Amino acid sequence: MADRRRVNIPFGPQHPALKEPESFLLTLGGEKILAAGVRLGYNHRGIEKACEERTYIQDLYLVERVCGICSHSHSTCFVQAVEEIAGLQIPKRAVYLRTLIAELERIHSHLLWLGVAGHEVGFDTLLMYTWRDREVVMDLLAALTGNRVNYGMNTIGGVRRDITPEQAGQILTAMDVLEERTRYYIGVVTEETTLINRLSNVGKLSYDDAVHLGAVGPTARASGVDRDVRRDDPYAAYEDVSFKVITDTHCDVYGRAVVRVLELMEAYSIVRQLLKKLPDGPVTVKAPRKIPAGEAVGRYEAPRGENVHYVKANGTDKPERVKVRAPTLANVQVVAHMLKDGYLADMPIVVAAIDPCFSCTDRLIAVAHAEPRPPETLTWDELRTYGIDWYRKRGVDFTHLNRTFGNGAT
Amino acid sequence: MDDVLFQLTALFHVLVFPGFVFLVLVALFAEWVDRMLYARLQNRIGPPWFQPFADFLKLVAKQEIVPELADKGMFKLTPLVALASVVTALLYIPLWSHDALFAFPGDVIVVMYLLTIPTVTFFLGGWYSRSMFSMIGAARTLMQLFAYEIPLFLSILAPALLANTWSLTAMSHYYAAHPAYAAFNVIGFCVALVALLGKLERVPFDSPEAETEIVAGAFTEYSGRRLAFFRLAISIEMIVGASLLAAVFLPFGLGLGSVAGFVLYLVKVFAIVAVLTLMRTLFARLRIDQMINFCWKIGAPVAFVQLLIDLIAKGALGV
Amino acid sequence: MADEQTLQVQLVEKFPFLHEKVRIQRVRRMYAAVPAENIAEVFDHVVKEMKFSILCAITGLDQGETLGLQYHLARVSGEILTLLISVPRQQPVVRSVTPYFPAADVYEREVVDLLGFQVQGLVPGNRYPLPDGWPAGQYPLRKDWKADSLKQGGGKKNEVADG
Repeated sequence: MADRRRVNIPFGPQHPALKEPESFLLTLGGEKILAAGVRLGYNHRGIEKACEERTYIQDLYLVERVCGICSHSHSTCFVQAVEEIAGLQIPKRAVYLRTLIAELERIHSHLLWLGVAGHEVGFDTLLMYTWRDREVVMDLLAALTGNRVNYGMNTIGGVRRDITPEQAGQILTAMDVLEERTRYYIGVVTEETTLINRLSNVGKLSYDDAVHLGAVGPTARASGVDRDVRRDDPYAAYEDVSFKVITDTHCDVYGRAVVRVLELMEAYSIVRQLLKKLPDGPVTVKAPRKIPAGEAVGRYEAPRGENVHYVKANGTDKPERVKVRAPTLANVQVVAHMLKDGYLADMPIVVAAIDPCFSCTDRLIAVAHAEPRPPETLTWDELRTYGIDWYRKRGVDFTHLNRTFGNGAT
Repeated sequence: MDDVLFQLTALFHVLVFPGFVFLVLVALFAEWVDRMLYARLQNRIGPPWFQPFADFLKLVAKQEIVPELADKGMFKLTPLVALASVVTALLYIPLWSHDALFAFPGDVIVVMYLLTIPTVTFFLGGWYSRSMFSMIGAARTLMQLFAYEIPLFLSILAPALLANTWSLTAMSHYYAAHPAYAAFNVIGFCVALVALLGKLERVPFDSPEAETEIVAGAFTEYSGRRLAFFRLAISIEMIVGASLLAAVFLPFGLGLGSVAGFVLYLVKVFAIVAVLTLMRTLFARLRIDQMINFCWKIGAPVAFVQLLIDLIAKGALGV
Repeated sequence: MADEQTLQVQLVEKFPFLHEKVRIQRVRRMYAAVPAENIAEVFDHVVKEMKFSILCAITGLDQGETLGLQYHLARVSGEILTLLISVPRQQPVVRSVTPYFPAADVYEREVVDLLGFQVQGLVPGNRYPLPDGWPAGQYPLRKDWKADSLKQGGGKKNEVADG
């Protein structure tokens, strides 16, 4: 206890404010944060290496699981890169459906964020309200794709499911409901005094810093950086729809909240336009199993910001290299900057304001023992065997299914 | 013989009714009302009526961990002190008749201090846990204490000034004789309600135990039985605080007799609990600096206005 | 908007050694293989003069004899230029681009950890993404790396120095 005025407190890897393991070391002087260090990498799953050992179709489902919230953005980003290398022309209807799911995903992600933000500042009522309304779009996604997250909608060469006119009607009804609710939330965010007190002038990020530190997504747009991949580098069907890129000049958490709620309104409008213009036709073309040698950089405006995938093909059915840059990685530097000179009380909301989503790249799990034994390392296969045994002991066994479907994977 | 009987009755009052057992039941029920109402306001189903009882029993049955670095004595003692002090405070508050169980000139001050003790125990318990989160929470608890205590004292003392007494029982007699005078104290009631939120560390003033920032604040290291006692103390504090506010600011219908008076008392207390819940639903958590600003810049001056009103009223009415 | 051709011409005019090394794959996607010794000047010019002001990502590649490093640079108007450099596998030394892009910090640590690059000018800090106790000399994204090599006790069981 050399200096009682400066204390270091560990914030994570396990902490109620953090939904995923990441660690911040904060140096505090009273309630003020004097310095902040970020430590990442607690969640390595080795996805990039794993991708190199699997076929493109398997990879598609693997990258979809990079993130639980914006799963469609990763799979779309990946599949677009692969299709570019293979030179596939995707049917218009499939492109529209992909975009549709992407926007529905943005809606659910932003509503989720609004609730989390409310929770971080102790406004649990907002959390309960937004998450209730989020169910509308979650149900919709489940009806359209068969799943609430990890939709499995994409396949190389198109999408796996078509939508019926009745479903289109359901979507439009849901958009009306959500739009009305979102108007209410815009009111809450811009008028509720305690909420504004907690969000304003918190986590300041100037325009110059946002550009210099490479902020992406709503975090950057709330600092006046007018960037949106959907407009600047259009992919899927974004060239066919009109929408505003929402920016704000508050440069704080309040601005980030405003950007997200207004983006919700844009998303409703995009969904309506897509359904109106939805072309007829097939939803998939036949894709080759082996992708010719080549490379492609895919960009995608995920709810959290720009998502980048790089795919290099070598002519076989497995990629040579897959590189994933999730938007949060670009915003991590920004967080450390925003935390500095802030209050400890604002730490959760500042971290939450970039809508963090940590996903990384390794395929090993190190098991550390409490006793001083050398750390044990499990390989993928060992982990798999362990998992199967664990469930088998508890009476869950899928071995017979493997045999029935005879997929050869033992 | 009379002496023994008196002591037995007193013991019954202290331990069973309206003392400890009664308080525990009402407090846990009030916790359910609070949670249920909070849930309904948030569009949730809410817990069944026995949930607070079940939570309490579960916590009591859980293993208790005392941190190695903690000051063992302080760590173990503080929950009991918190519980004892809130229960004692109730004995001096008139509940459903004009008279409290015990009364002496100056008991209003004693009640106020007895209600401060739990907060101090939160601080001590947190501080002697020696965990970073606990210590930050403890420091915030103490800061918050200095913020809300002034408005709370001022707003409670103003009606006492008008009644020209420092005894809650005497106040209750006075306002029973002049029911209209209670109208002078409306501002004080509002200030006291807000200050009570701070005392109970509830949203929007829950930064001492803001879970997203400092886990559970002063209670981070507590577990099992002692955590259950702390939580029970807070629940009881809510009832005692509401009773105090009801006695001071809502002194109506105290002469109705036991049954009707008892029902009216419960109505008053649960109405105050409902107002507290409503506020918790409506607001986001204030930062500790915002909380202190609010209490000193708005709470205290408004409480002073209340004091002035009562002084002027006293002069004008010539009491 | 034949911007890509203009950019291509500009780049080759400025750096003649890039002749026929700049490839336009499709609209807004350009690739250039740059000799490792020239990367500093090309990078500087591309970022400062040609307004490729966004660093999307840095990808490390195992190309067998050499290790490749790709900088995916984007312009605000959407064009992406990928600069590829190749360095010897035995001595994969590159210069840090953090002076241009502070956010490159994590990307560079990633290629250090996963492919064994040595990045000059990268300030010491927490390693990313591998854990602190990761054995030295184990680079998971290299093609010859198998998970079993950890089991066989390959590599020293001490920490890799930062940077």
